[in-house]
Amino acid sequence: MSKTDEGRRAFLVGAVAGAAAGAGAVATAALVSDSQPPATPEGGLDPLSAAARQGAFLNAADAETVAAIAERIMPGAPGKPGATEAGVLNYIDLALAGAYTDLQEFYRHGLAALETHCRQTYSETFAKLAPAQQDETIASLEDGKVESFTWPAARAFFETLRTHTMEGMFADPVYGGNKDFAGWNLVGFPGVQLIFTPAELESRQAFTRSPVAGLQSKARSV
Amino acid sequence: MATQRTDVVIVGVGAAGAILAAELASAGMRVIALERGPRHVQADFKALDELRFFQRQDTRPNVKRQPVTWRPNANARATPLRVLNYGNQAGGGTVHYGAVSWRFHEDDFRARSQTVERYGAKAVPGDSSLADWPLSYAELEPYYDKAEYDLGVSGKAGNLNGSIVEGGNPFEAPRKREFPLPPLRADQSGLLFEEAAKRIGYKPFASPHAIISQDYKGRAACTYCGFCQGFGCYNGAKSSTLVTHLPQADATGNFKLITLAMVYRVNSDNSGRATGVSYWGPDGSDNTIEAEIVILAPFVFDNTRLLLLSKTAKFPNGLANSSGQVGKHFMAHVAARVYAAFDDRYVNNYMGPNAQKHSFDEFNGDNFDHKDAGFIRGSNIAVATAGLEGGPIASAMGLVPPPGTPTWGAAYRDFFAKYFARHLVLLSETENLPYTDHTIDLDPDVKDAWGLPAPRVTYDWHRPNEVKQVAFMQEKLVELGRAMGAAHVWRAPLSGGQPGPHPQGGTRMGSNPRASVVNKYSQSWDVPNLFIVGSSTNPSMSGFNPTLTIQALAYVTADAIANRYRKSPGPLA
Repeated sequence: MSKTDEGRRAFLVGAVAGAAAGAGAVATAALVSDSQPPATPEGGLDPLSAAARQGAFLNAADAETVAAIAERIMPGAPGKPGATEAGVLNYIDLALAGAYTDLQEFYRHGLAALETHCRQTYSETFAKLAPAQQDETIASLEDGKVESFTWPAARAFFETLRTHTMEGMFADPVYGGNKDFAGWNLVGFPGVQLIFTPAELESRQAFTRSPVAGLQSKARSV
Repeated sequence: MATQRTDVVIVGVGAAGAILAAELASAGMRVIALERGPRHVQADFKALDELRFFQRQDTRPNVKRQPVTWRPNANARATPLRVLNYGNQAGGGTVHYGAVSWRFHEDDFRARSQTVERYGAKAVPGDSSLADWPLSYAELEPYYDKAEYDLGVSGKAGNLNGSIVEGGNPFEAPRKREFPLPPLRADQSGLLFEEAAKRIGYKPFASPHAIISQDYKGRAACTYCGFCQGFGCYNGAKSSTLVTHLPQADATGNFKLITLAMVYRVNSDNSGRATGVSYWGPDGSDNTIEAEIVILAPFVFDNTRLLLLSKTAKFPNGLANSSGQVGKHFMAHVAARVYAAFDDRYVNNYMGPNAQKHSFDEFNGDNFDHKDAGFIRGSNIAVATAGLEGGPIASAMGLVPPPGTPTWGAAYRDFFAKYFARHLVLLSETENLPYTDHTIDLDPDVKDAWGLPAPRVTYDWHRPNEVKQVAFMQEKLVELGRAMGAAHVWRAPLSGGQPGPHPQGGTRMGSNPRASVVNKYSQSWDVPNLFIVGSSTNPSMSGFNPTLTIQALAYVTADAIANRYRKSPGPLA
């Protein structure tokens, strides 16, 4: 399988998973396992894990970095899904190949500057740093204090990564992130609800009416 | 190159343009309207998609294709604004807006006189070009009434023919009759606001919205889905002109809408008469509409830009600009916001219409004594969402954590997971005064996708009057948040100086042709068959959202054209 085919295949895995998410986790799992034979892992990543859903734009090394940054911005913990579990990498990868193609150079330059900084400071790539060192690095980006950055500026790179991580956490699953509504479940957002009743509007309690609904399940039901 | 002839050509069919199209076509005039964006159908809004409509601004201008640049002063280099909150389709901003539909106060139309009478001439800052409007609230009242009933506005009267009515805004200007529809239901944030505001002595009420609370004119009532501001309405309950006035215009048989049309010049002849407009089609074609009457109704920035782009030997400083006032007196609201978060309850603020759900009006306009305030004019105070709407993306972008809590990492995750459904936002939108050096002109460096110079805004709200206004309102918002019993109350960061919501000015109306661009009919003083409508004509701005006033003024213009100008073309004033 050529590199291009690899990319296309990974893209399709992501797209299928994203598209099916609205129908629920069971359908997603069935679709992926039925249609995708296990592929050779690349860069040590399991191609069917959420973190590995990449290949539309990012190469394996850059994907690893983006996944690591996103996970530090929204880290997972038991019962609290983070960026990896939500598939933020898949969201960002698809977005950079689609709606955000104009940000491809921004990412290329930003990721290269980040690697330069990490090698100079820690003699290691960002993805392989300890979490505390990763946090220290992200804090430096946020403060705009990373000399290896010219364009994009370190702060702009941080802000964009934060924004895209939030989009991947909380956008509808059709865009490839928010896997199984991980982000919506984290914060208690019920997704697409066409109607809230007077009692629901006036309730002081958490809103729990199920199901949480995504765009494609709604599209089928309308 | 195609040329068409018509009675009236309208540039932009948004809040105002669609009303003019419907009214003039109904009066039997042949109307062609040119719209830069597409014409959506309701099915386009079935996708309640926060990423597409809020975050990626799918109903608003693409900032790369249609940049508007900003600089804080004339010595700085302008850079493109990152978000443009106006419409980019038939229906304009009314497709995506929060639909808050205020009538201005009586004193909003005479802010200078009111200030001088009550506090003396020195109370008006010396560098402000604050001016009275050339028309009064009383003159506009019948047109406000028509707008509310044609659109379908939900609310509760607070002042019926001078009698104060319980439950409405006691500070509102007198209205002749009730709203056509009762107010929208209050959600938890509205109920919290209502209870706390009453307890500390204010008179809260449900803000009026152009969203129908009951079925109205064949449209179904609001279902409180919350995908509202930033979105087109999935069931058509938002009274955008896309669902109210454009169908009315269509039904006349006299109306033709051309979409994806980029108007780049108003044409005029040596006699000083407008002859029509030129536009580029989506295929790059260069086309002309010849018309007896030209109406400009794009968003604020493009009224000034089009006039400046349309200069001729006869109008060397831009069309309709013999006064030199085109592009001057730019204003916008300063959004001062305070967050309130609760430990003992949920608010679920993603439910229901998002914009200014509940309000009180004690600190707006000249509703309170400013004698010792150190500033004039004021702001509406309301409860709203962290972004334009209350979904998780808007909240992740707009809910800035309190001091000491980071914007990322485990502590942020826990903050956001806990408070996403337990917070609300208290909002004031303070009234800028007009200043001659707050301007819109043509950017010498930045071009749009068509190669035209971008509109450039020179503006910084940090004027002494505005800085004191904002600090005053922030105190009131903090007091209110505490009265709600919120566990955490903290201030949102303020903008660095760039314009906030509801930009206005650039083609101000007045009663003196040497000091204004249009008369009270929005008719150009210089070019009588050219009408320039929208909030670009506002001489001062009010602490209220401007859309209903824009719409009432559009009815004034339509009435004047259909019933007076058509019989006797020429200056109306």
